[in-house]
Amino acid sequence: MFFALDFGAATTSVALVGNVGNRWRLIAHTAAPASVDVEQLIAAQLAGVASADGELFAELSGRNVGQKPPDFAAISQSWTRLTAHSTPPRRIAVLAGSRRQRRRLEEAAINSGWLVAGGSGEEDDHVALSRLVFDGEISAVLLGADQSPSGDERRHLPDLAALVAAAARIRPELTVVLAGGAAAHELAFSQEPDPRFAQRPDGGEVTEAAAVSVPRVLLAPDAEAGNPAGAALQQVLEGLRAVRDDSRLGFARSIASLAYVLDRTIEGLEVGLDSGLRIRSEPYGQNHFAVVSSHVLLAGAAYAPIDPTEEVIDGVLAWSTISPPDRYRTLDRLRDFRIAPWGESDGEGAILRLAAAKAAVERLIEATPDITGAPMPDLIVAGGGVFASLPPSIVSLAMADLIRRPGVAQLACDQARLLGPLGALEDEAERRRLLANLADDLLVPLGSLVMPAGIKAGRSAGRLRLRGGAQDAEIDMHPGAIQVLDLQAGMKAKVVIDFRDTVRLGTRSRHFEMDVSGGLSGLLLDLRDIPLRLPDRPEQRRAALEAWQRGMWPEMDE
Amino acid sequence: MSPARRSARPALDPALARVPMRRILVLGPTIRFRLRPGDRALVRPGDTVTPGMALAERTPDPVLMDVGKLPNRGPEMPRPMPLPTPAAVLPPVSARAPVAAGPVSAMTAPVVAPEPAAAAEPLWRAGASEFDMPRPTASKPVAAPEPEPVASPDAEVEAPVAAEPESRAAPDADVEAPAAAAAPSQAQAALRGAERRRPPEPGKWWVGGDDRRGKSGGKYRQNERRIAGTLLFETHGRWRAAAGERHETFESPVAGVVAEARNGVEITVTVTGVAMPGAIGAGEPSRGYLDVPRLTDGDLWATALDVARSGAIVVAGSRISAQAISRARAMSIRGLLAGSVGQGELRDLAASEARQRAGIAAIVPFGLLALDGHQRRPIATPVLALLAAMAGREVAIVTDPPMLVFDVSEVPLPELPPDWVRVRSGQHAGREGRFLGSAGLHRFRAGIHLESASVRLGDDESPAVIALSDLERFVF
Repeated sequence: MFFALDFGAATTSVALVGNVGNRWRLIAHTAAPASVDVEQLIAAQLAGVASADGELFAELSGRNVGQKPPDFAAISQSWTRLTAHSTPPRRIAVLAGSRRQRRRLEEAAINSGWLVAGGSGEEDDHVALSRLVFDGEISAVLLGADQSPSGDERRHLPDLAALVAAAARIRPELTVVLAGGAAAHELAFSQEPDPRFAQRPDGGEVTEAAAVSVPRVLLAPDAEAGNPAGAALQQVLEGLRAVRDDSRLGFARSIASLAYVLDRTIEGLEVGLDSGLRIRSEPYGQNHFAVVSSHVLLAGAAYAPIDPTEEVIDGVLAWSTISPPDRYRTLDRLRDFRIAPWGESDGEGAILRLAAAKAAVERLIEATPDITGAPMPDLIVAGGGVFASLPPSIVSLAMADLIRRPGVAQLACDQARLLGPLGALEDEAERRRLLANLADDLLVPLGSLVMPAGIKAGRSAGRLRLRGGAQDAEIDMHPGAIQVLDLQAGMKAKVVIDFRDTVRLGTRSRHFEMDVSGGLSGLLLDLRDIPLRLPDRPEQRRAALEAWQRGMWPEMDE
Repeated sequence: MSPARRSARPALDPALARVPMRRILVLGPTIRFRLRPGDRALVRPGDTVTPGMALAERTPDPVLMDVGKLPNRGPEMPRPMPLPTPAAVLPPVSARAPVAAGPVSAMTAPVVAPEPAAAAEPLWRAGASEFDMPRPTASKPVAAPEPEPVASPDAEVEAPVAAEPESRAAPDADVEAPAAAAAPSQAQAALRGAERRRPPEPGKWWVGGDDRRGKSGGKYRQNERRIAGTLLFETHGRWRAAAGERHETFESPVAGVVAEARNGVEITVTVTGVAMPGAIGAGEPSRGYLDVPRLTDGDLWATALDVARSGAIVVAGSRISAQAISRARAMSIRGLLAGSVGQGELRDLAASEARQRAGIAAIVPFGLLALDGHQRRPIATPVLALLAAMAGREVAIVTDPPMLVFDVSEVPLPELPPDWVRVRSGQHAGREGRFLGSAGLHRFRAGIHLESASVRLGDDESPAVIALSDLERFVF
């Protein structure tokens, strides 16, 4: 038995995993605002399990059925806990000799989850740059250059290195990363303590203020190293930013392990209060002995970023169906999400959260062209508190709105938020074993998504027959619409589609037969354009979004 | 607020314990004042500060200065003279009439014990730092005496013996120095000399003249203007500094003990007394008497902000409007306190501050504190009751973190039923009532299922079912 605890910025979730019949199973899970005491949450969960299934609880806890009510708090203390924490947002100052280099370095830092403040010797004077590195909110400085710096970079580097070294002397808590050719200036940081200050005249201990602190300097590859370019530096910066049991990186590790276990290509989208992550993992090689993964973690892809820019507000308004749209009011509500992330979770609050989460995923998609260019994955996993709190059907629609690639995919949601804590396990083999056991429990199936490309406008696009499931069904397909067929979770069915014209659905053809599995929102047949075309005028755009949304979320007007 | 009173609290209903807690008062919080390159701290860790005491000297518009080579005369320097006791440095209180307005505790700020006179070792930084110099102790800072001529042709690095006056006078402004600074003792002079001979390092205060920027006095200039700031870095033996001609003294709005002070970075102060945390702080840290006017429907009309409230921190109701901010600043009001403030108003305030900073006239610090967030909500009644009880007392608005600081450790706490809750967001936002019990998992608008509670709001006959996450309970 163990508890998997995910301490997010907004939500604390607790999942109880037990060994039942020689297999690890998810027994129960719950989530509450991060302000709630976790011990209280655990005790309440155990009490819930005991009252719902006394025999199971007795088996798990090794007690006799019918014994006097146990002390849940004491029992919970004796069980193992697997924890993951969301890394608080951290800010890095990026310095480079040239504008071109600064942009490259910033991209690597942004893609590894840092909040970035950048400057270059070419664009800014040293006072402006010193403001960046002396700022108390900055916890690391990245100074980088090409492996062989060109003239425009080289002439600024000595001054920049001296400036960063000076900042590191004043602020010993700073971590300095020297990337690429900037590593040649490492000597600027290895200043020997002044012998006059090495010992106090009275023989006493050197005080912290008096000691010449040796700054923490890391050498890193340049912004072009790795495949894709910048991946090597991104990895260094990611390791520097994240706490050891970072839940978002744990999510990424678990997705990679799950791809191996299920032998499927998986794409994961995780959006939280502090950042967002997109990952794609696919089995690779002969007999799929390995998994290739790539991910991007963006602080700017939080659903309520710390400093929402005009573009962020534009993005939220573009997906919002709240009328009338008010820019300042939207900004106020978005900022209030940071103050009270669980505040107004229903009604308009839920609609705005959905819009904010979709805008965040859109930013993630823009930042990951490599993943976007890949074929439709077999499984799409939505993670994070926002998606877990919304009705499953609207989460499915959000995935269909955002991931516009021809193909068939299964949709699922990490409702129990188990993937983060499981990713905190260091042993890959152990994680795979656990995931193989828990594969049926840990993801809530939302349904299957069928998304053909190249549908021509007209009255009918063809016919679809669903065989299997609760009952056979046959429908006429309408171009530009999103149609839902009932297919319950756990059920599998065969779909036979005859299009009027040739379309792309993995391959180009008019006739397709495929196996699909059900979920809470059934089978989604998305016959809208790829990419999604929405009216330019805000009112018409909102009306179109609302029409699609109302079909999947009838309670939104309650 | 006493420990006995805290421990006397009855055990909380488990259902009520799941309601997010809001602490109205925190004891001895740590606050931060950010400095930028060119700014120097006038205090050091361990110092006791009082309201109005000079904390830092800011350089509002620093430029990059090529300081040139600075001599490192440490090894050759003479042994520092023993530090005088505070009594020896400062004349008797009666003789310090011009600075008597300053806080008493500041005058008794600890001074590092002098090194033994027999110690012939080289200068120890902690024993002869700039902080070992007697600092200004009055709310009216002391003008810097003219620097002594230095042997170095490049520049001088000077100890922060004195802060600039509150006005934006140049460092060499002709301001009459108070007694203590006007007649420095031999020990002070020796210490200042020792400070100047301290090896240059990033963040150290530096004073130079117009000639540093290639400007001569010219026939229209009577006096050459001095520029000052902090050293940034050294390359090829030459130092660069962030320095400027204009300087402003930043005064502490609170009483406390300095936890950390770093030139160009920050000053951290542990406040003596209690503070009320807010959600959003903007503007400058400020201090004034607390004014709690009569509110109309929870709001304060902007016209009520008249000149009679000059110097006050005014409780402005549920929301601060842009008009109220403009009017308050025009009336020399020191700050506004409200339930919420919109992002648009915050942008207006930032723009207005930037415009005023660009001007020559000194600006009065103006702070803004929103207790709940950005969306309109009335101030919670327990908070309002506490503010009403503190009306007329001196309070301070600080922005990092956002807080309203009372310089007292005991405040009159309003009586509050233990089951009193407030709806902080959602349909009933701002309403208050009594927690009746858990209502379990409830289906709310838009089909969202949330843990809920039954609450009797105000005088309503039937209780309302409200999501636990939309509620808050108060803890003093």
